[in-house]
Amino acid sequence: MNGLPQAVLVRRGTYHDSVTLMRVSRALSELPGVHAAMVAMATELNVSILREMGFGVPEADPGDLVIAVRARDTDAAVEEADRQLTAAPRPEENSGEQPPLTTRSAAARGPADLVLVSTPGEYAFFEALDAVEAGLNVMIFSDGVTVERERLLKERAEARDVLVMGPDCGTAVIAGAGLGFANVLTPGPVGVVAASGTGAQQVTCLLDRAGTGVSHVLGVGGRDLSAEVGGLSARRALRMLDDDPGTELIVLISKPPAPEVARAIEALPLRTPVVRALLGPGAPDLTEAAEQALRALGRSVPEWPSWPAWRGGRATPHRIRGLYAGGTLSVEAAAVAGAGEFTDFGDDAYTRGRAHPMIDPALRVEALGRAAETDVVLMDVVLGHGADPDPAASLAHPIARSPATVVLALIGTEGDPQDLHRQAGAFREAGAAVFLSNAQAARHARSLL
Amino acid sequence: MTVSTHARRTRAHVSGAASTAVRPVLESQRRPARVLAAFPAGVYLEVRTDLEPSVIAVITGDATRLPNSVLLSTPLPQLTVGDEATVGDRTIDLGPLSLSVRRWWDPAPPLGRLDPARLAEAEAALADPPGAGLAGDEAVEQLADSCARGWLLGAVTAAERLVGLGPGLTPSGDDVLAGLLVTLRHLGRAARAERPQWLAGWLAATVTFDARTRTTPLSATLLHCAARGEASPEVIAVLRGIAGRQALEPALRRLHRLGHTSGADLAQGVAIGVRAVRSLSGAR
Amino acid sequence: MSSLLDAPPRVITVGAGLLDEALRAQAVPTTPVAWRPPLPGTAEDLARVLADPRRHEANEWAVARLVSARPHLVGVRRASEVLGPGVFLHAGPPITWERASGPMRGALIGAMLLEDLAADEHDAADRLAAGAVALRPCHEQATVGPMAGVVSPSMWLFEVRDDEHGGTAYCSLNEGLGKVLRYGAYGPEVLERLRWMDGVLGPALAGALERTGPIDLRWLMAQALQMGDELHNRNRAATSLLLRELAPAVVEAAPSDAAAVLRFIHGNDHFFLNAGMAAAKAATDAARDVPGSSLVVAMARNGTDFGIQVSGLGGRWFTGPAGVPDGLYLGSYGPADANPDIGDSTITETSGVGGFAMAASPAIVRFVGGEVADAVRATRSMYEITLAEHPAFQIPGLGFRGTPVGIDVTLVARTGLLPVVNTGIAGRVAGTGQVGAGLVEPPVEAFTSALRALAEAIK
Repeated sequence: MNGLPQAVLVRRGTYHDSVTLMRVSRALSELPGVHAAMVAMATELNVSILREMGFGVPEADPGDLVIAVRARDTDAAVEEADRQLTAAPRPEENSGEQPPLTTRSAAARGPADLVLVSTPGEYAFFEALDAVEAGLNVMIFSDGVTVERERLLKERAEARDVLVMGPDCGTAVIAGAGLGFANVLTPGPVGVVAASGTGAQQVTCLLDRAGTGVSHVLGVGGRDLSAEVGGLSARRALRMLDDDPGTELIVLISKPPAPEVARAIEALPLRTPVVRALLGPGAPDLTEAAEQALRALGRSVPEWPSWPAWRGGRATPHRIRGLYAGGTLSVEAAAVAGAGEFTDFGDDAYTRGRAHPMIDPALRVEALGRAAETDVVLMDVVLGHGADPDPAASLAHPIARSPATVVLALIGTEGDPQDLHRQAGAFREAGAAVFLSNAQAARHARSLL
Repeated sequence: MTVSTHARRTRAHVSGAASTAVRPVLESQRRPARVLAAFPAGVYLEVRTDLEPSVIAVITGDATRLPNSVLLSTPLPQLTVGDEATVGDRTIDLGPLSLSVRRWWDPAPPLGRLDPARLAEAEAALADPPGAGLAGDEAVEQLADSCARGWLLGAVTAAERLVGLGPGLTPSGDDVLAGLLVTLRHLGRAARAERPQWLAGWLAATVTFDARTRTTPLSATLLHCAARGEASPEVIAVLRGIAGRQALEPALRRLHRLGHTSGADLAQGVAIGVRAVRSLSGAR
Repeated sequence: MSSLLDAPPRVITVGAGLLDEALRAQAVPTTPVAWRPPLPGTAEDLARVLADPRRHEANEWAVARLVSARPHLVGVRRASEVLGPGVFLHAGPPITWERASGPMRGALIGAMLLEDLAADEHDAADRLAAGAVALRPCHEQATVGPMAGVVSPSMWLFEVRDDEHGGTAYCSLNEGLGKVLRYGAYGPEVLERLRWMDGVLGPALAGALERTGPIDLRWLMAQALQMGDELHNRNRAATSLLLRELAPAVVEAAPSDAAAVLRFIHGNDHFFLNAGMAAAKAATDAARDVPGSSLVVAMARNGTDFGIQVSGLGGRWFTGPAGVPDGLYLGSYGPADANPDIGDSTITETSGVGGFAMAASPAIVRFVGGEVADAVRATRSMYEITLAEHPAFQIPGLGFRGTPVGIDVTLVARTGLLPVVNTGIAGRVAGTGQVGAGLVEPPVEAFTSALRALAEAIK
């Protein structure tokens, strides 16, 4: 392979999470003299990727770490990998104390309210069950938990009087604290129960923009309102918000629930008014849901900000290509745009063995490179906690280089660490039309055809 | 330590969580500030501004979360009284740190509905807080009686006498008034009673009118906060206890432990407020 | 209703470090878990066992029985009263003569000679190979034995009764250190000592215990832990305490032999070990046979295999090859002279003392190699794989925290941490005796195969 020396090292029993490893891999690849580098756990998938990259991988199991580099100076590259890995914070290095190795152990150490589980999906069940057995609420960020186990967790949670958010719950905000992918929101009267993380982010960002704060966002996971799970978490979350003195209005964001679940929710004796944003054909979009919530509180609906493209006059585009990181946003955009080819890069099929597109832009950068002059690329960029600290840094250049017309939904608040205005400016500078409302972005894209 | 405007580039970027009370100051344009007092767990910054709160507490996890606090996620650097800082444009530049906010919390969270019958029980539990700095003080007695009777002139006169009364960063008189104001605001609203809120409005106007010249800068800021119902979590917890949303006794014990006499003084103010809300809302 | 929404949450984070960092940047207090994937190949079994609705309560119940046992030393008995005819007991999971290691064979030969069942060592070996005596694990007869753990009819046993749950357990009397039967030595001095123990020590102790009445071993062991014993490789304090209890009664019961008996006990710092093992056996037996429980109720080695038994799986053994201990060697012996791990004394670790209580015993680190910090670390790590903290056995140096007790097979599989075992090291050649002491790591397959069996037992 192109003559450069390569090195493959296996570190037995050394574990780091996939996001940390992605950061290290990326940093290594960017070093001068490094042609290819991957630092990953030796899962079946990662080993096959390494082989495709032309690395010979020795016998290793998923609990082993593999460092693979092809570089002019492989020793220096491996040394750098080790330096970066030791720099990555590991709980056991904080002190001489034995760090907790399980959620069970952590829960025994002192008071806690919530467990945030983001292990690989096949193991998330163990930690979530520990949480429920310890009487703690749990947010399962991981996906890949079977529906049977989801049901089991939620039934046990009912018995222990705790809330299970997820699996595949990307977003929650509890009393201002953002968990997973969440935005910096002002405290206020609207509580959100959401089966969709990015859906919740869109609605809360618009509310924040309108000067209306949010009390809590409780995620429940995409399958919660299905017949199999029965809306156990959504019903509990609605009751919790109903009981919360800071919540004056509840917004429920979900695909249309199974009929029996819809009836069960209808039957809840809630004193707090509920605005339903039931996504799907013919239903109001997320922006309309936010507007409904504002009207229900007697507040005015502002004009949602947008930053028009400064460059234009390209060939008239023929079709829309949706390149999305948020699943719900992709579905919403497809529905509003009416036609086009939409890809949800946050789907399991794209995230197995790699980080979420809100963190790792690589796949969308590639897709942008393939867009044609006659395309309108419609895409989302989600800001907030947990997301890429500077998405414009990796996406603005590919957008500027793309021959396609780019329309971008920027989901964020003014308080977000990425600086909403700077991001919007950078994307606009790169030639994109930028909208705070995904539905408006989709409508704009359609109008360009 | 002096801070030049060019030093910003070399500062370490850190983040934290802030009370929404300090949002107006933080989001307005940058203004100079200086360290008013420094403790191991926090510093108080006085900002040159007409906005209130004009004093911001930058604290670490161990300190009391005053309603004007910004809670750091990292350890506090070594700072001394008089050190300069800047506050504004969503940032606090302080010593080697450039601090931005990643979370907002509400220092006046709504209590929900209050069953007025709970007030009698609470009044008994709150009677005679141990160690109050102004126990038996004539102005305090007058304040309590006037409030309970809804006699505005008496209450305002007593409040004027109490502003700035007592030693320390937060004089006892101010703490009593702060406890009273917060209680009238929250319990009045929770009990859907007009007169306690009317009384709170007048008292708030009285104590904030010239607070900056009558008491310490920190205490003046805290009176402005209290006038809007903003308080530290220990005070809010007691009000939640009164409303039956959590256990009252442990919340009261935690409040009493605050500061030298601050906790007991605040509790005394809360007691006066509870008595006033009870009598003014006709729950007696 | 939950108070989750009343204040920003205190969060335990497990998984991606990025999400923990995002919370800390918001000044939200977090407790990060140093998570790692479970042992290879265990994920599906773990999911089934963890989902078993019986498990949580079954484990709570089983471990509550383990830690609430109140073992009392009630007497000593000649093994002939307990053993069936033609039976020898041995340590660890079941073993045949063919698979038996050097020290196990040596001890069995010694027992044949002691019982006059063979003319000489060769004759004894031939007869054992021919099956002249039935070999049974101690554990199957409510008994435990250190090292080879061989029990033959003319040996005497401590009898320990659990006053809380009513069980009874036995363990042989300790012969001392050096050339002793339990380490596989069977020379004339070994047999002579065993005959004296049969003729003098046993009867004297029996008489003494009749006078003292039951001796509370839970209390005695709790005291010894606070005096620097860990009750596996260090029993100096416990032996002294026991001697104090027994001495006047020995003098009264056997005036003419009292000096010799007391001198024998005094001369052996490990005299208490066997009484402590019987106490541990009584406690762990109380936790047996709880359906759905993944609690380990026995860990034992026969010099060839390391085996465990699990509460929810009855008397089944789950084994893997016994490892060679890592430690310090006596005199000119070295690792090449060491036999793989042997003995039932791991019942101490199973019941929350021994290696699990290392932090109580700074002196032990000089015996097994390492630093005091290693001992503290070893104990601290065991809380990660155990279900409870012992209410009576406390460690002064850890702020009187209870010792970690109740190994859970699922926690071993999830953390990849294996129980810490302190042990003596026997010479690999029959007849050698003890060559050292140290730490040994149990084989991982004993735990993963038990986990598999738990999973398969769920319908």
